[in-house]
Formats: sequence, structure tokens, C-alpha cells
Amino acid sequence: MECVVQGIIETQHVEALEILLQGLCGVHRERLRIHESCLKSSPNLGLVASEVRVLCDLEQPEPTWIVRHIGGAMRGSGAEQISVLVRTMVESKVSKNVLRLFYALGYKLDHELLRVGFAFHFQRGASITVTVSSVNKMLKLHATDEAVPVTPGIQLVEVTAPASSENYSEVAAAVSSFCEYLAPLLHLSKPGTSTGVVPTAAAAAASLMSDAGVTT
Amino acid sequence: MPLKWVFHWQPNAGTTVNSQMLTEVSQCAESINGVKEGRWKATLTFYKPMFRDQAVPAEYPRDFLGISLPEQPNRYYFIIRSQKIVLEADSSIQMIMEKLQSYKSRVSLTFEGFQYQLGDFQLRVGKVAPSASENLRGIVLEVEYLPLSSMEKSRQILDGFVEIWQEAMSKRSLPGHFMHIEPNFAEFGLSDHYTSQHTAVQYATVMAQLISAVQTAQAKVAWWE
Repeated sequence: MECVVQGIIETQHVEALEILLQGLCGVHRERLRIHESCLKSSPNLGLVASEVRVLCDLEQPEPTWIVRHIGGAMRGSGAEQISVLVRTMVESKVSKNVLRLFYALGYKLDHELLRVGFAFHFQRGASITVTVSSVNKMLKLHATDEAVPVTPGIQLVEVTAPASSENYSEVAAAVSSFCEYLAPLLHLSKPGTSTGVVPTAAAAAASLMSDAGVTT
Repeated sequence: MPLKWVFHWQPNAGTTVNSQMLTEVSQCAESINGVKEGRWKATLTFYKPMFRDQAVPAEYPRDFLGISLPEQPNRYYFIIRSQKIVLEADSSIQMIMEKLQSYKSRVSLTFEGFQYQLGDFQLRVGKVAPSASENLRGIVLEVEYLPLSSMEKSRQILDGFVEIWQEAMSKRSLPGHFMHIEPNFAEFGLSDHYTSQHTAVQYATVMAQLISAVQTAQAKVAWWE
């Protein structure tokens, strides 16, 4: 299981967001360069259609691979009262020929993306990860060196934290609480309910950059 | 990691494996001063594709299998032998496969028995049986040479040990012999440096041998049970 919220921020304010996150998290950022392949089952394969994501971390000296399955979100009145999305998520580290295996099993590439940016991993009531990245599409199959932004000038911010059926309320509360600190720069909400950029972002960014001694 | 060769018992024509043979093999290990240590167990699962419409013909691998190995309790291995694919994954990959509902477990087999220490060698003698029953369907032998990971460098040493083993076995006049078929690891993208992926490929090869020894389709079905 995991708790997730997302938001968007203009690229011009990402530096200010990084300064804010650095101050809040107390850890160094990690560079992020993830090639994400979304695979879908062939028609007729499986009792239901299925989807799996294969992530390749290109930032490592040797690329490392993960398979991730994202399941349904928690529903009901309890879920509606929580401001973060709680959903099932299972992932597994795998060796490098994972795409070959899934293609052989009857899965096809639906789309692929390259996420470039940075991430902060820290502990604040829960084990939280904040990623800030531009989402890029490849013009040719698997051509990660020729990727272009899907939304130029806009980057995606995602805050996630692993959870279990026993502790998801506490984890959701920790994520919500953390997100309040980011409110001047961006609004984070459940995936699928985007609220766009916040009007205070420019002023908040200018203030952060000024405090950090960065001239613009 | 140390390399190993996995052997399977090849019964003579017209004979079948039985538990007395398994006892004899274990005694053979002790007769060459093997010190009995603990038990070991590996599990192999055949997966079959699930279709929404059974009437629609489809081409999917019929030899997609998963293996758990005792030396890697947090890992799981997938093999499609016909396509020379082996994948190492965290054990959580099994949960992902369950959630996808595209492939389900058709039958599981267990390889289990005792292991023996002989100097720089570790032997594992195991029976092969369907997980749901005790019916003995085969015998496997693992010979592991602890000091080396290079297959080329250790080949002569393993050949030498196997000679000693076969000679000890021959004194028991059992109707069969242990066979080792070395897969072409390079075809699976594996190097000379031995890993658990090599072991997984060897077990897949052993399975193929055990099944091919069963002649008729009817007998093959009965073999699983």
C-alpha cells in the first residue's frame, strides 16, 4: 500500500521548491532519471485486463530495474475524508531482462516516459519521498536520449509514503501535514484531481530565493 | 557465489524411481564420508496463461515456470526455457503475478532432502514430488564446489569429484545413473561467474529432462499428481 498526492509547479519555481525541501527534509537531494515503461496485457490474456510498470533507474552506474503494480484506490466514506490517495502498490526489484520476459508472456508496451529531476527521501512521521520531475516522452522507441517534455515549463511533484492496512491513517496524516509546508508554492491533491499552479507561487518562490541569497 | 552442478536420476529403460533408490543415494553420500547437515528444499511452479475467451487461439509460452531456492529466501526466479529467458526478482514478484491474474499456478513440485558436507564440496540429495503429494517422481543431486565461482576454472575439479561419486554409486548396482546436462548459459545471457540464476536454469533443464522421460501424454498428466 502507499499514500500519494501530486501537484504541478512551473519549472521557473523548481529551484525555490528545492531550497524549501532541502530546509524541511534535512537530507541531500538525489538525482532522478527514471525510464518508465507501461505494459498492458494483450486482448484476451488474463481474467481481466492488467497493467504493470517497469522502471529503469538510469542514474545508477549500472541501470537497475523495478516492476511495479499499482492497484485500486481505497474507496468509501473513510477514503473520501482522507486528503491523500491510499492505494495498493506492490513492487519488486528485478534483473535486466524484465521487458523480454513480459513481452514473452503477452504484454505489450502501451507507452513509455522518462522522468528527470530529483528526489528527497526522509522520515517525518512516516517514510516520505518527494519527487520533482519533468515528464518526457520519447520520439523513438526507448530513445531516452531524445526525450522531450510532455508539458514544457511544468513539472510534476509527487509525495509518496509506504503504508499498510494497520497504519495508513497515520501515514496519510503525516503526508498531509508535510504538504501544508509546501502550500505557498504548490497545491498537492489526490492524483486525478489537479488544481493547477497556485497564485502565490511566484511571490513565495521569490521570497525563498531571496532568503537563500540567490539573485534572479 | 560457489558454483554447482545439478544432476537428475535417469532410470534405466523399463524401470522407475522409488524411495529405496533415494535411500541408497543418501547412503552413498555418507559412504564417501559426507557429513549430514540440515534439510533443504526448493520449489518449482509451472504457470499457465488465463484467457477470457477460451475459444480464441493464442500463442503463449507453455514452459513458463517459477523457482524458489533455499540459498536465496527473499528471491524468486522466472524461466521461459524455450526462449532462453531467466529473471531474478524479489519474492514480492509472486504477489504481483497474483494481482495481474494473467497467469496462474498450474502445478508445483518440491525438491527436498538432506545436504552433506565433504571437504570443499556440498552435496544435496533430494526427492522430486508434487507439492500436494508424497509420490516420488524423481531424484536430484546438487554438487557444489565452495571455493570457486568460475565454471571454467572448476570444471576439472568437478569432473574429478563426479568420477569418485559415480564409482561409489556403481557399487550399489542401482538401475540407473545420475546425469548432468549443462545448459548453454550464454544463451540465457549468463556469464562464466556462477549465480543463483544459473541454478534456476539448471533446475528448469532438469524438469525438462524429467518430463521428457515420461513418454505418453496420459502418463505426463499422471506424473503431476
